[in-house]
Amino acid sequence: MIKYSLVLLSFFFISEVALCQKRIEPTTQDLTLAKNLKEQYPDDDVALVTSKDDVTFGLNKREGKVTVTHIVEENMINIDSRADIQVYSFYDGESSVESFEIRYRNQKLAGFTFNDEAYTSDDLFHNDTRVTYANVDFPLKGYRYLTKLEKVYKDVKYFTKLYFNSQYPTAKKTIRVEVPDWLDLELREINFEGFDIQKQVATNKKGDGKIYTFKLNDIPAMYDEEATPGPTYIYPHILVLPKSYSVNGEVVNIFKDTQDLYDWYRSLVTSLENDNSAFKDKVRELTENATSDEEKIKNIYYWVQDNIRYIAFEDGIAGFKPDEASNVFNKRYGDCKGMANLTKQMLVEAGFDARLTWIGTKRIAYDYSTPNLSVDNHMICTLFKDGKTIFLDGTEKFNAFGEYADRIQGKQVLIENGDDYILEFVPSVEADFNKEQFNYNLSFSEEAIVGKADKVFNGESRSGLLYYFNNLKNDKKDEFLEYYLNKGNSNIKVSNIATSDLLNRDDNINIAYDIKVENAVSSFDDQIYIDLDFEKQLSNFNFKERFTDYIFSSKKDLEATTRLEIPQGYHISHLPENISVSSDNFDMDVQFSKDNNTIIYKKRFQIKNAKIETSDFEKWNNFIDQLNNLYNEQIILTKD
Amino acid sequence: MASRFLLLVLFVFSTSAFSQSKEEMAAKDFFWGANDNYHDANEIPSEWENESAVVIYKNENYDFHKFGKNVTYTTSVRKRIKLLDKAAVEEFSEFSFTKRFRSSKGRYTWKKRGNTFVGVKIVKPDGSVTEINVDEEAVEVDGETKIAIPNLEVGDIIDYYSYRKEPFKSTYAFGFDPVETSLNEEYPIMDFKLFFETENDFFINFKSFNGAPDLKELPTDKNNMRRYELTETNIPKRDFTRWFYPLVELPSYKFQVYFARSGKFEDRALAFLPEKEDIIKTSVSDEEVLDLYDSRFKPDGDVGDVKSFFKGKSFKNDAEKVISGYYYMRHYYLTRYIEAAYARDANISSYPFEVYKNNVVFIQNQKQFIRHFTEFLKRQDIDYSIVVGKKRYDGTIDELLIERNIEVMVKVHTATPLYAQFFGVHTNINEFSPLMEGTDVFLLSSEKNKRKIDQIERAKLPTSSFEQNETKKDVTVTFDDDFSGLSLTAVNYFKGHQKSDEQYDRLLFSDYVFEDYKRYETESWIEQVWGKKNREKFTREMKALIEKLKNKQKEYFENSAKSEYGIESFEDYTYEINENGRYSLDSYFTFTETITAKDVLIKKAGPNYIMEIGKLIGGQIDLEEKERKRSENIYLPHPRSFNYTITLNIPEGYSVSGLDNLNKNVDNETGAFISSANIEGNQLIVTTSKRYKSYFEPVQNWSKMITFLDEAKQFTNEKILLKKN
Repeated sequence: MIKYSLVLLSFFFISEVALCQKRIEPTTQDLTLAKNLKEQYPDDDVALVTSKDDVTFGLNKREGKVTVTHIVEENMINIDSRADIQVYSFYDGESSVESFEIRYRNQKLAGFTFNDEAYTSDDLFHNDTRVTYANVDFPLKGYRYLTKLEKVYKDVKYFTKLYFNSQYPTAKKTIRVEVPDWLDLELREINFEGFDIQKQVATNKKGDGKIYTFKLNDIPAMYDEEATPGPTYIYPHILVLPKSYSVNGEVVNIFKDTQDLYDWYRSLVTSLENDNSAFKDKVRELTENATSDEEKIKNIYYWVQDNIRYIAFEDGIAGFKPDEASNVFNKRYGDCKGMANLTKQMLVEAGFDARLTWIGTKRIAYDYSTPNLSVDNHMICTLFKDGKTIFLDGTEKFNAFGEYADRIQGKQVLIENGDDYILEFVPSVEADFNKEQFNYNLSFSEEAIVGKADKVFNGESRSGLLYYFNNLKNDKKDEFLEYYLNKGNSNIKVSNIATSDLLNRDDNINIAYDIKVENAVSSFDDQIYIDLDFEKQLSNFNFKERFTDYIFSSKKDLEATTRLEIPQGYHISHLPENISVSSDNFDMDVQFSKDNNTIIYKKRFQIKNAKIETSDFEKWNNFIDQLNNLYNEQIILTKD
Repeated sequence: MASRFLLLVLFVFSTSAFSQSKEEMAAKDFFWGANDNYHDANEIPSEWENESAVVIYKNENYDFHKFGKNVTYTTSVRKRIKLLDKAAVEEFSEFSFTKRFRSSKGRYTWKKRGNTFVGVKIVKPDGSVTEINVDEEAVEVDGETKIAIPNLEVGDIIDYYSYRKEPFKSTYAFGFDPVETSLNEEYPIMDFKLFFETENDFFINFKSFNGAPDLKELPTDKNNMRRYELTETNIPKRDFTRWFYPLVELPSYKFQVYFARSGKFEDRALAFLPEKEDIIKTSVSDEEVLDLYDSRFKPDGDVGDVKSFFKGKSFKNDAEKVISGYYYMRHYYLTRYIEAAYARDANISSYPFEVYKNNVVFIQNQKQFIRHFTEFLKRQDIDYSIVVGKKRYDGTIDELLIERNIEVMVKVHTATPLYAQFFGVHTNINEFSPLMEGTDVFLLSSEKNKRKIDQIERAKLPTSSFEQNETKKDVTVTFDDDFSGLSLTAVNYFKGHQKSDEQYDRLLFSDYVFEDYKRYETESWIEQVWGKKNREKFTREMKALIEKLKNKQKEYFENSAKSEYGIESFEDYTYEINENGRYSLDSYFTFTETITAKDVLIKKAGPNYIMEIGKLIGGQIDLEEKERKRSENIYLPHPRSFNYTITLNIPEGYSVSGLDNLNKNVDNETGAFISSANIEGNQLIVTTSKRYKSYFEPVQNWSKMITFLDEAKQFTNEKILLKKN
């Protein structure tokens, strides 16, 4: 009997403990808070009541590095009926997670297990980033957890930014940075305009440093949208610019100016051996029969594009230092730095003046006026030839010599120049450089529309297609072209496809084919109703529920002309109204006209800067509405 | 002392390092050694030059060796492949594998580790060969080894092997995972060789099907060792085909190997084993089926709960009793625990099952179900047989070879026979996989009330019709006065085999467990939780969980309705379950959706409007040109029909033109698409019926299927004119 009750007791005891651990139910105030936050942020499940970043610096004298301790404390609240989330932190070879705690609102430790895994990315074959995370459940609305993360960076160089926005909306955000007097560090305020950020500067308790405090309330979560500009454009943040530190009365520069950043990059590059013997023969083979320098350069540039696969190892310094050109050549793979270095060394081998070049792609808002590792994320090769500067990007497959991908156009580049450096800009092109021209000449054949189609692709509209086509399996290539031209719509039959050389990246792509469109014509009584547009470009580009600029992959220019011959015995009784709109970012125009017995339907869509800005949205959405009405409106032919 | 210890460590370390490299060398020698006949095989036939890649040689090996209880299982594969385009280079440019692993087979031992050895070499078009230094090129993260293959280009041959050695210990009989595969793969294969090597105590079932060559025995030096091979040449690549069972049509092979130590352990083996190790078993006789199952399916289980449930109840006949017993068990042994399972998964309670104390009877598999259910039938003195069959996608019962492919259920010999299958939460009596309908099966039985099964006979399972397996929708559409938007109500009905997927998709546990508690007067999980405080907390948390899941579900249903009707965004969407259809196969599962949306299904045509009414039957199969030319027989899931009634409230002041387009009638032995349109008062009523009539059609009938599939597709293109009066 005694034994029995003991067993029972301990059983109860265990289950009570297990329950106690969890049962810290929300207070009435928390429930009200949760309700209010949900009204404010209806699309979110979890919000941060408070979020505090605390940043302090230390000096590792032995290695001569300034260290950073970054403590993040978050007070999380569930604003939905229930929430299941992951609380996580990334780290890599240059940083470590020193501690990570999750507590109940009564400060008692919640028993969540932290897992540690390698972070895998489709873009990187191998990288040294890892993630520590816990699966956290909020069983009730208003339920709260307090998290505390301490992360240490071995070198201030790699601690580049502090954001106010996070994955969750935040009621109160505080960023506190304590900068000791021995450290010269600028906290540059980016995108602060329009936000009520309270900044305070005070002397620390010991009187040997300054404390910068930034406060912002009611911050929405980072936007979960497609085709957004890079985060450095849209969110207020603090760029951390460590300039120098003093030790024993001596000043040691970190990144005081662009020269320091260049010097560091250069130190990585000068340690390369640059033994070109592996590809001497290849360079000779690529250049010996070339009749001009341009042809030699092209042969080398295109060879790198076609033969070096993009495989990236981002492990420690490999994230910044290019691989030896001979390695990239022998392995036939590399990342952007490896391809840039191989392009350079092959061109040098062929007797040209080629240089390594650092660049931040369009996703990054900064230029080299801010010496910081987050300024750039890409490397290309610059060629100086007959007073001209030409940029070569081996990662851009099927990119023609002298043409530049939208993602680098207009961006500042840092070009190596011995101890010195050169700053330049990659030239930009106008939208019509990428022009797509579609011509349809159609007529009626029984219940279908038939005729000839002709499409021309210029600039970036062609390199994407060439790349895609050439990476298909041989036995799928024919199917693909058909699918590409009829957009998977079985009402459109495509035949007799003739194309220009789909391996030639220097010329425009030309595709001509016969087309038959079924079910685009309906006859009722004495009238024929025609749906003449079977492509309906941009019909779903409605930005009514969008918060951020929409970024296109490149500048767009579409000119489509459809000519439809009407059958004898009919006349046109209704054509939709013409529409057009114009702004700094776009010119759009759709027109219907008549020429004897032919209807001419013309569309011209130009997205001039590869983006639609939020300030354009009203005008743009209005046009898209009109366009959809037009797409939905039938052309009517009536029997004479 | 210290130095001696160090020495010891060093010694151990060096031997293991040495032995590993020796094994590694052996693996390499096995494939690429002096006996490699494919060392210089570099040419491919001209008819395959336009492929993406061609496998010059594929060699698969399965070796089974043992020493007492210690088993060494070695599987290896080598492929020599000519890469003909960038897609193929990309495909073979990265590998990943687990170098060292712990066996999951047999008894758990922490000592023995398995190894995988990988070798890669590249042959350039000029014939030069480079072997990749795998150790040097590889990176290992969290136990996974990845390698990026250097210097791989279009026109190269990649020749690689993976050699996996898995040691483990097994006292009892152990069945290796069965292998069932067709010879064809993604790329065409010039030469294929499969080798088997076994010793005594390993029993092999192996059979080739559909024209694949047979396994042949090869001579060996040792008399307890056996070696077999299967070879084939010129195997075309395999294409994805709709409605196709590769194992039934393509040259294939199936095998399973059992390890069963001599004498007393052999009869513990739970499979159809050959009589002796030197016999390759290729078929299973009726007697063997009976032998294997005679004792395994003897009635067994505590059915006291059913007895108490039946107390005071009377039934018209045995059938009613069996049906009632089946659904009671579905609740008592399954749905009764669902709430607790959710409580555990959602972390609401750490030990939710403790409320049941030791009384948890949870039926976990088909075999346990058979024993339990037949115990019930025996107690009720109701006659039955046990159905032993196979799903049709891997051949008929005559081709039975692998025990794991067996499906079992109970046939109850009531006036009209009833079939009872191991239940899921929504399984009905008389419901069993349509993949078994109409197939030949074994019926096992015993003379009444005897515990031992002693009779076996052949039988055919019943089939179902397209009328029985039905998806039905009643859709009503009303346009706004200015045609700017519409409201749509759809009542959806599903029965027969069209039902269960929908039920699993759309019913949340809370939609049926509470109903079941009430029906069977059982207590909910929450009611059984001890302590008022706990009960209140769990109730709150469970309510929050259900609310969350319901919201997620609604979002999902809304998106699925959007894709079904081809509408990009809704102004409003509601969803409601009407009948959950969980108590008979022919009752409907029903739910109603209402949708309001702007600018859909309507095109402006001067003063009139064109309505794309055909789109309301949802997306239909859109055959690609290459699918129209078909050379394989057609394997359909089951007969079924999709019956729609679309009611359009004709806007005031408008009349309808174009009804002719909506009258279709294609009806043949394979299927049908039939539609009609009528005006009744101020409503246009369109009915459509798409029918698939069979489980199987020979390829000659493909053109007949195309006619009704195309007609249904064409219907989605049809429009009517709403003409201003």
